[in-house]
Amino acid sequence: MYLLHPKCRVRKEKFGLLFYDLRGPKLLFVETGDLLDPGFFQVGGASKDVFADKSHAERIRVERLLKSLVVKGFVREQSLC
Amino acid sequence: MSNRFVEQGLSSPVNLTWEVTLACNLRCHHCLSASGTPAPRELDTTEALQAVEQVYRAGVFQVNFGGGEPFLRPDFEVILDACHARRLMTCVSTNGTLIDRARVERLSRSHLVAIQVSLDGASEETCDAIRGAGTFRSATEALKMFADSQIPTSINTVLTSLNAAEIPALHELAARIGVSLRVSRFRPSGRGVTGWEWLRPSATQLLAFSAWLTSTAGVRTGDSFFSLTPQERQGLGLNLCGAAKLTCCLGPSGDLYPCAFLQRPEFWAGSLRNGTFQEIWDTSPIYASFRNLRIHSCESCQRFDQCHGGCPAVAYHLGRGVAGGDPECLVKCVTSIEAQTRTQA
Repeated sequence: MYLLHPKCRVRKEKFGLLFYDLRGPKLLFVETGDLLDPGFFQVGGASKDVFADKSHAERIRVERLLKSLVVKGFVREQSLC
Repeated sequence: MSNRFVEQGLSSPVNLTWEVTLACNLRCHHCLSASGTPAPRELDTTEALQAVEQVYRAGVFQVNFGGGEPFLRPDFEVILDACHARRLMTCVSTNGTLIDRARVERLSRSHLVAIQVSLDGASEETCDAIRGAGTFRSATEALKMFADSQIPTSINTVLTSLNAAEIPALHELAARIGVSLRVSRFRPSGRGVTGWEWLRPSATQLLAFSAWLTSTAGVRTGDSFFSLTPQERQGLGLNLCGAAKLTCCLGPSGDLYPCAFLQRPEFWAGSLRNGTFQEIWDTSPIYASFRNLRIHSCESCQRFDQCHGGCPAVAYHLGRGVAGGDPECLVKCVTSIEAQTRTQA
């Protein structure tokens, strides 16, 4: 599951998601359209199956995005067990 | 690259500058808001807490508190706590005179606050000449207390003719104390109008600072959207004035403006006493005009892609109008020095 870093925030914008990192401060504009909802990164939201209603191409895009967010420090990947 | 997302219009600002009071126990010569006595009808505690709720509901990420001296408000920590309860990040700009260990300990509990302590010289003589007697000592004492805590802390210095030569020493002082350095631009608003000719950095000083900043890692500058190092700014691709796009200003009496340097009737966007924060952000004609602001006189300049015309507030206060182009841009500094050299020759 993927959780927002405690020092980061995210919100929905017309273009997709806007991330904010207080530690920079740093902004990240992610052109995702409606692919992901900010709630996905909150406690409880991350356990939902984000891939359930996605096409194969969208799944690959989401996976890449999540990995990129982890590398950039906005999101933490946590084990479910 | 990120500019295009910003120019589409964000659903709310990334951060809000909130001048919670005009009350101040200092009389700094460069004060942007001419602080001293409280403003008429400042928001009371209930109204301030309602403002916090509205800002939170709008989706603002961070509130930057200034003034005045925020800690002169007896309810200021209550306002801060309300922000933190909603997971709003905060940054407080303080002169450091009202800081003690107990306050630092209380502030450190939220893990959501950052602190900027104003210090305008690496020497007591320089700082006190700008901010008043005893300010160097009180600010450095406060900085040391914050440095001992987990609170991210920086020195905030306004670049002036008096301290321009001391900026590298201030950087070293910050490192010795264990905090970072942020350098803000001096603008001719508030008491800065009367202090302008005395304190404005020369073209040579501005160019020297620019060169030093480029070659020095980790120093932040007080851009209108938030503080960024030159490297971070390049990485983001953001290089435009953020007023009414990424940020806005809430004055002590609940009035909204594009930025802290434009708190004048002609830039009034609305009042939280008459509308919600979200309504004003979405519908204010003055905010719309700033989102569509184009500095045509700068468009043919080779550096336009790097600055987009600079700071509209400086242009306004120096009589050019907000669309008049920043009269203190690096290109104009170079031109001015070349002209001086020709005259002397």
